[in-house]
Amino acid sequence: MNVLGFAWRSLVRQPARSTLGILGVAAVGALLFDMLLLSQGLLLSMRGLLDRMGFDVRVVSSDQFPGPGPDLDDAQTLAAQIAGLPSVRSVVTIRSESADLQRAGGESVRVTFLGVGGSTVRPWTVVSGRDIAADRELVLNAYAAEELDAAPGDAVLVKAFCFPEDTAPPQQTFRIAGIAEFLFDAPDTLGAATTADDLALACAQEAGKADFVAVVSAGDPEAAAAAISAQHPDLRAMTNEQAVGQLQQRGFTYFRQISTVLSTVTVSFALLLITVLLTVSVNQRLGEVAALRAIGFSQRRVVLDVLCESVLIVGIGGGLSLPLGWLLAQWLDGILKRMPNIPVQLHFFVFEPNALAVHALLLGATAILAAVYPMRIVARLPIAATLRNETVS
Amino acid sequence: MTNAVYHDTVLFADRVSRVFQMPAGPVVAVRDLTLTITQGEHAAIRGPSGCGKSTLLHMLGCVDTPTSGRLLFDGHDVTTLGDRARSLLRLRQIGFVFQRFFLLPMLTAAENVELPQAEAGVPKAERARRTFELLDYVGLAPRAGHRPSQLSGGEMQRVAIARALANRPRLLLADEPTGELDQTTGEQVAALLDRVNADGTALVIVTHDPALAGRARRILTMRDGRIEHEATQ
Ligand SMILES: Nc1ncnc2c1ncn2[C@@H]1O[C@H](COP(=O)(O)OP(=O)(O)OP(=O)(O)O)[C@@H](O)[C@H]1O
Ligand SMILES: [Mg+2]
Repeated sequence: MNVLGFAWRSLVRQPARSTLGILGVAAVGALLFDMLLLSQGLLLSMRGLLDRMGFDVRVVSSDQFPGPGPDLDDAQTLAAQIAGLPSVRSVVTIRSESADLQRAGGESVRVTFLGVGGSTVRPWTVVSGRDIAADRELVLNAYAAEELDAAPGDAVLVKAFCFPEDTAPPQQTFRIAGIAEFLFDAPDTLGAATTADDLALACAQEAGKADFVAVVSAGDPEAAAAAISAQHPDLRAMTNEQAVGQLQQRGFTYFRQISTVLSTVTVSFALLLITVLLTVSVNQRLGEVAALRAIGFSQRRVVLDVLCESVLIVGIGGGLSLPLGWLLAQWLDGILKRMPNIPVQLHFFVFEPNALAVHALLLGATAILAAVYPMRIVARLPIAATLRNETVS
Repeated sequence: MTNAVYHDTVLFADRVSRVFQMPAGPVVAVRDLTLTITQGEHAAIRGPSGCGKSTLLHMLGCVDTPTSGRLLFDGHDVTTLGDRARSLLRLRQIGFVFQRFFLLPMLTAAENVELPQAEAGVPKAERARRTFELLDYVGLAPRAGHRPSQLSGGEMQRVAIARALANRPRLLLADEPTGELDQTTGEQVAALLDRVNADGTALVIVTHDPALAGRARRILTMRDGRIEHEATQ
């Protein structure tokens, strides 16, 4: 029987206590796993969303991202200039406002109203009907279509609310070309989109305003961003990675901090639990340990036995914690996503292999640290005195 | 000491003392005691409670170190050895039998006997063979797969003797081996120990039981940490 087998027998010998330890580690490990998924989740998910939108560089007027109101005034010209760069494949201008949509005789519905100019690349996927092809057409997301009780081909009245709100644009009639899935879509966000020109029309403003310019590079986003910055030193061109980096610096560090604090607390709990269980268990069999030492087991061997018990408890508990943590993450993600204005594709808990490695590392360290005190007890056990005590008592 | 005697000597305790420093003052458990244990010897140590029998046995078994004096095992001073070397010496050369058996409850009789062999690095097949041979020797081959909780006290002690013999020690030390057993069972265990000794292993038994002590060829009587009387029969 090897050392692990021996440790296993020692665990099985006290099934209730061992189960308690394993379940404790499973619970703590699940929480820890979730903290790790949470600490990076939003950023990874954001990054994924940005990548999936098909744009790899975005151009804004300042380094505010996302900033309020349309900051770019002559986006059309800007887009044309950027499109001329060899490192750029295509360019889209994006402006976001809101609008009340209304079918004849129906209730009006407030939606986010996007205006997209430039190339034919769109930040949405048409799911029924067709894409915008003519003037005064728009696409709706499924939720808006449902609220409006509208289908492709129907006409809707659009009353836009545009930044700055110094104009009161008249209602315009648009036709619904199709139903689309917007990439930054929240399940309870009502959305519509049209061309940049038609949004300007609905706003009764001059065409050309945009929140930002989205660029598809010819393959190297860094080079494209650098070329755009060189062409327009007054603007800021950010790759998706930089955009996410900025998000991380500005608002998301607290996710990390919270998860670090909570991870530390949960791991300390596991540490104490295992230390207590092992210490109690070792103290109960001091006589046996002394006898093993007397028949020739080395100090190293009896210490290793305790360590192996710790590793087994934490290993089995840690193994269980992964599926448990995964289920818990799905559940928590569902809860968090019920907050308003969270895009469907955005997740708070995102798996990455690194999380698994850190999880294993932290639990491994827990197993070792938790065993330190009970290992010390067996290492320092005076053999003769213990044998005597165990016989006299 | 002549060369012949020297070679015949398993253990030589040379004016060993063991003093325990207690808050109320030092306790001298063994005092300046000299003792030679030779190959194949059968010795019993007796004496009133607290006279230092167990302390002496523990020093002879290298689980405790004299506070003064030397202990030579096979002519080598073992008082200065580190834990690893002492453990190895106990593992290969010394067998221990305890009053309370100290079998591991989660292992079967066979596994308990195998344990010190595994620790000594004996190959698996050899271990299995030796374990069966030993259980057969102590008359418990049919109980090989039983846990200690399924054995009687006498049977547990016989398994413990088999475990002590697992690595063919030159010296077997037993502290009150029949202390927890009734008279009949105690006699069976005593007979087994006699046989172990007859088969060549030096045997030192600490006991209060005159019948058990009476089986030894050499009877040492201790008082106040010293050997007060020695008789050979
Ligand atoms: N670890 C220890 N710490 C302090 N005193 C000890 C220790 N071990 C033994 N002693 C003391 O040393 C003396 C001898 O003890 P020991 O156990 O060797 O006696 P013994 O002859 O085996 O007694 P018994 O027949 O009751 O087993 C006693 O006075 C005891 O209190
Ligand atoms: Mg004693």
